[in-house]
Amino acid sequence: MKILIADDSRVMRQIVIRTLRQAGFDGHEIVEAADGREARDAVLSENPDLVVSDWNMPEMTGIQVLGALRAAGNTVPFGFVTSECTPEMQNAAEAAGALFFIIKPFTPERFKEALSTVLG
Amino acid sequence: MTEQPTPTVDDLREIAEQVWAAYLDPEGVRPFLVGEPGEPATAVSASVSLTGGWHGHVVVSCSSGAARHAAAAFLAMEAGEVSDEDMTDVMGELANIVGGNVKSMLPAATAVSLPHVVAGADNRFPTTRRICELSGTWLDEPFSISMWQGRGLAEVPAA
Repeated sequence: MKILIADDSRVMRQIVIRTLRQAGFDGHEIVEAADGREARDAVLSENPDLVVSDWNMPEMTGIQVLGALRAAGNTVPFGFVTSECTPEMQNAAEAAGALFFIIKPFTPERFKEALSTVLG
Repeated sequence: MTEQPTPTVDDLREIAEQVWAAYLDPEGVRPFLVGEPGEPATAVSASVSLTGGWHGHVVVSCSSGAARHAAAAFLAMEAGEVSDEDMTDVMGELANIVGGNVKSMLPAATAVSLPHVVAGADNRFPTTRRICELSGTWLDEPFSISMWQGRGLAEVPAA
């Protein structure tokens, strides 16, 4: 599978990649995006099988990316990894079609729990 | 006027424990020791601003040595291998994580900014006051996490 990881922090992208591996999800092709617009463009150009996205990013927020993709008819599986965790945001994510909502700081166990249905 | 719950030093401690357990000390052998920092932790200072339902800032400050150790821990590298860019990135991410978690304790309309990192100088926030601070040492280096509230809206005693 091809996984797009979107986060404006390069270090956090590395940690997400490492945590995926620690959670047992290794062997997947990884594509990275450093802001929301890059993430949206990468979904269209790279056609990933899953998007793991930060919420608060320059250019476009993660929820704006998800909204833009769904408005354009794109149904790529999409989930959030974010430090912000209000019920309003979780509801907005769910309403927009997000599959999971992982809160930073996270553990490999949380990744396993959230992603096992998507990545098997 | 409705009294809004305001994060306390205990909230900061709980968030810090989660951050240390996940990223800075996953093996539980290099804890953040809360207490006197020994010297002002002002070499590297990262902050996020909170606006909307609540106005203020979350600030993570430490020595450059602690920032280097933090970057090394995040990246699973040796301290000597991390770049200044890595340190800046990690400090910003720490402020982002703490700020994001604090946000869940604040009024719903509060927004968190992207992080801002200052190296070599103290971060200053005019017309605010510090409402709580968790300070101490990590690996014998000064480290602190603090919250600053816009003075016009501050209705709770300073910590």
